[in-house]
Amino acid sequence: MSAAARPIAGSSVRAVAWRRRSARRALTFYAFLSPWLVGFALLTALPLAVALLMSFTDYDGFNLDRVGFVGLENYTRALADPDAQHALQRTLILMVTVVPIGVGVQLALALLLDQRLRFSGLLRTIFYLPHVIPVVGGAWVWKLFTDPNGGLLNAIIGIFSPDTYIRWLVEYPTVVLSVFVIWAAAGGGMVIFLAGLQGIPAEYREAAMIDGASPWQVTRFVTLPLLSPVIFFQVVVGVIATLQILQQPILLTPGITGISPGTVPPRDNYVFVGHAYNAIFVNHLFGYGAALLWILFALVLLLTLVLFRTSGRWVFYGVQQ
Amino acid sequence: MLALAAIFSLPVVWVLITSIKKQSEYAASPIVLFPAVPQWINYQLAVTMADFPKYATNSVFLSSAYTILVVITSALVGFGFARHRGPGRDRLFLLVIGTMMLPTLVLFVPQFVMFARLDLTNSYWPWILWGLAASPYHVFLFRQFFAAFPRELEDAAEVDGCGPLRVFLQIFIPNAGPALAASAIFAFLWVWGDYLYPILLLNDQNTTLAVKLAKAYVDPRGNPLQTITMAGIVLYVLPLVALFFAAQRYIVRGVVTTGLEG
Amino acid sequence: MSADTKPTLNAPHGQLRTTRRRLLAGAGAVAAAAAVAPLAVACQQQPTSKKSGPAKVVVMTDSHEFGDDDRKLLQDTTKIEIELVEADLTRLYAMYAAGNPPDIFRVQAAGIPQYISRRMLKDLQPYFANSKVLKIDDLAPANNFYKSDGKKVGTGDLYGMVKDWSPDFTLYAYKKPFAEAGVTVPSDSQPLTYDELAALAKKVNKKQGGKRTYWGFVHSNNDQWIDRTAMNMLAEKNQSLYSADFSKLVIAANPETLKVVRYLFDLAKDDVHQNPLDPSPNWMGADFNEGQIAILQYGFWYSAMAESDKTKGNVVFLPAPTWSGVRRDPTMTATGWVISSQTKDPDAAWAVFEQYMGGKPAQDRAKSGWGVPGLKSMYPLMPQETPFQKQVQKVLQAELKQSEFTLAFNPYIGEETFATSWKKHLEPALKGSISFDKFVANIEADINTAIADGKRIAGNN
Repeated sequence: MSAAARPIAGSSVRAVAWRRRSARRALTFYAFLSPWLVGFALLTALPLAVALLMSFTDYDGFNLDRVGFVGLENYTRALADPDAQHALQRTLILMVTVVPIGVGVQLALALLLDQRLRFSGLLRTIFYLPHVIPVVGGAWVWKLFTDPNGGLLNAIIGIFSPDTYIRWLVEYPTVVLSVFVIWAAAGGGMVIFLAGLQGIPAEYREAAMIDGASPWQVTRFVTLPLLSPVIFFQVVVGVIATLQILQQPILLTPGITGISPGTVPPRDNYVFVGHAYNAIFVNHLFGYGAALLWILFALVLLLTLVLFRTSGRWVFYGVQQ
Repeated sequence: MLALAAIFSLPVVWVLITSIKKQSEYAASPIVLFPAVPQWINYQLAVTMADFPKYATNSVFLSSAYTILVVITSALVGFGFARHRGPGRDRLFLLVIGTMMLPTLVLFVPQFVMFARLDLTNSYWPWILWGLAASPYHVFLFRQFFAAFPRELEDAAEVDGCGPLRVFLQIFIPNAGPALAASAIFAFLWVWGDYLYPILLLNDQNTTLAVKLAKAYVDPRGNPLQTITMAGIVLYVLPLVALFFAAQRYIVRGVVTTGLEG
Repeated sequence: MSADTKPTLNAPHGQLRTTRRRLLAGAGAVAAAAAVAPLAVACQQQPTSKKSGPAKVVVMTDSHEFGDDDRKLLQDTTKIEIELVEADLTRLYAMYAAGNPPDIFRVQAAGIPQYISRRMLKDLQPYFANSKVLKIDDLAPANNFYKSDGKKVGTGDLYGMVKDWSPDFTLYAYKKPFAEAGVTVPSDSQPLTYDELAALAKKVNKKQGGKRTYWGFVHSNNDQWIDRTAMNMLAEKNQSLYSADFSKLVIAANPETLKVVRYLFDLAKDDVHQNPLDPSPNWMGADFNEGQIAILQYGFWYSAMAESDKTKGNVVFLPAPTWSGVRRDPTMTATGWVISSQTKDPDAAWAVFEQYMGGKPAQDRAKSGWGVPGLKSMYPLMPQETPFQKQVQKVLQAELKQSEFTLAFNPYIGEETFATSWKKHLEPALKGSISFDKFVANIEADINTAIADGKRIAGNN
């Protein structure tokens, strides 16, 4: 073999082997994904498509045999609807409040309770409890808690400054809503972060301490960066969930005790999905409600993309992404 | 820390106290801190009014079935996204997360129609199928968790000649206890606490405890009896608390080592 | 630490391509679905052949009103298998969409015009005419809500029946606030006018600083039924909230309607009625039980629970007030059952329906005192033992004579549309951010938009 032929022969063999290996790698990849791929195609894709289709019609829940196409009318109406705009504003305010504070609380709890102290188990359970209480029960308790007359909160405040009579749900409805949501989600996030903390090998922390780092420095420069994928997870999930909040504002409406379509939360707690819910179940405008929800979807998608794009600067993975 | 826990659990304590009050003491003003006579009978009523044993069994079965399936499948899929590459990976992952973003409200009617056409309503099949299909939330969770592991783990295993599934089962899964436990808790809790889908898909006989609790504790007119509901909630929540208390040891099992030394 | 723990970037440039491609993929999916969906809909319209075996009826109702025991009882009596599904609007939508609606479902009066205009209900007149249990002459006046002649509700063929009902505009007075204010409790044989009622309410209303002792007059189920209260007041003079063809809500242009709306608004503004600025964590029935309300407007059904430990012996049942001197005391809810027009086994559905409405379950309901029976022949079954029950029955008999009427609900809008709009604008109006005229204008705008939507959908028929 001439000197020129050998490298060519060698590289074509390598090329074929490389292709075979990458085909096998791709196959492995798809194999792992197969439950979701199949499930999505069979269970989710069609309802998703129909749900999208619905938003272009005047479907009202009952007129399926007489439903008419209205094109983009539902969407233009949704974008021009002052109620929808107000609802969006309130929802965004809620998200911007709840997600940073909520994730912060969850992280703090996990870091504090990561040790094997005597009461850790009990404390962890106590903080986890609200997460397990059904949203209806939790809301009732908070309503009662903040009741001007019979509520514990005003009673406690009354010990320090008598004759205060704060109508929490009327004057500060969003505060109560935010606190309720953060309270209920704290335990769940704490559990996620605790699990994430276990994934950080002890050697890394020990090595830093040997190098002379204080516990706070260890946390800031070792633990948190290594925990960043999980923090990222909580932030994204938190954003998605907060933008979709529906039940809590309804349940915290003063005066009612259940979820009924006709409940009108205080103006400040009028959230976007609540507006869509109203459109569907009170005004029987299913198509319009669907359009509203698809607009929300687009917004959530946008925000999530932004989060993903900016995540490169602060999220560190162990594997090249 | 203890003070914080005390304040934090105040509403929970209030649930407990309310559960043994009389209905008239519920929202009484001025506030009634403790019931005059503890109404333990509320607990008995909570069990009988909602046919607790029957529906609790339904809930346990459904929650367990779904949890086992979804944790396994989501771990597989999440692992695939985290440690393997293939064409369209990023797009697919975005699709996974994308499905979390649409409020389920709008999917209810189409999903029902789909299940009805397959004659799967009034059965537990939808949950079985959802469990087999993996859940986006859990996939995301596992993906983040597995992605945080150092590269050396697989490199070492490949050197030993392990196939991809063995790598997954024998190296990653043993170290994934915390994520598995967290995922299992969340999956179980989702089914246990969900009433929107059972109302949509099940009938009165095979529905879950969550649905019954939402409607059972009312007087003959339909007006809610909050004290008995609180008792019901305590009973409803108790198994989950016990489960968590036992399982949380696995979440704080002790820090994992990379397994590279020695 | 090894180099692998160095931060690595997510590939951001992949994301933009992702979005565009996803949109295209999504469009492809929609196109596919658009092709499939009409097929799916067409397939649904075919009736399935009747399965052999015992007949089966699916009932969608509240599990309180129809528990497992009732279900088993009816199964034994009618030899028909009954499946119970919890009442839920989403589920109803979904079942209709799947082409398999429940055979029987629970409705309230306000929803009936809509269901009829969408041709969802089966005409039951022939069944009633032949029934030995549910005789047409024996039907209580509240059943008029279930009659329609195709254009109007109130006369014509029967499409369903009430399970029980109450004249809903009666009052309950709690004596204690009256005593404290030094005011005599109204007589139970002489109805008040609404204006007298408001004046009385202001006198017994009590609030100390921020703390509420008594609300003067609470009504309309915490505003959920505010439109019905208004409609009943206007109907005394044959007036309505809406134009004659229901195409518009008219408040400002009609002086009488404006007066009624102003009256109801002032009750909230004068703080005698529970409102968004001074709400209660509980519903008004519970608050009355707590002794926090002086006068409550609820129907006969509330008498079963009006006497709590706190209020026992101090409650008086009063006749419904009148707006202009004409007496009207119909029901405003008329909860009952209807049979779907798409039922596959109407005879079986009727058998179950008939037993629930006229058999033992109906008798049990009558005896419980939670409502006036749907059949006049069952009236004597209502409880009359305690002094309170006797007093209630005395007033009730007089009220029953005023309950022949119906309320004309707008067929183009949902049951809660008006109330939701009212509640939404009430908060800023009470806070002073909008004037009363703006409040009225806002409600008119909301409702007229909703009517226009409803009309357009109905026009597709």
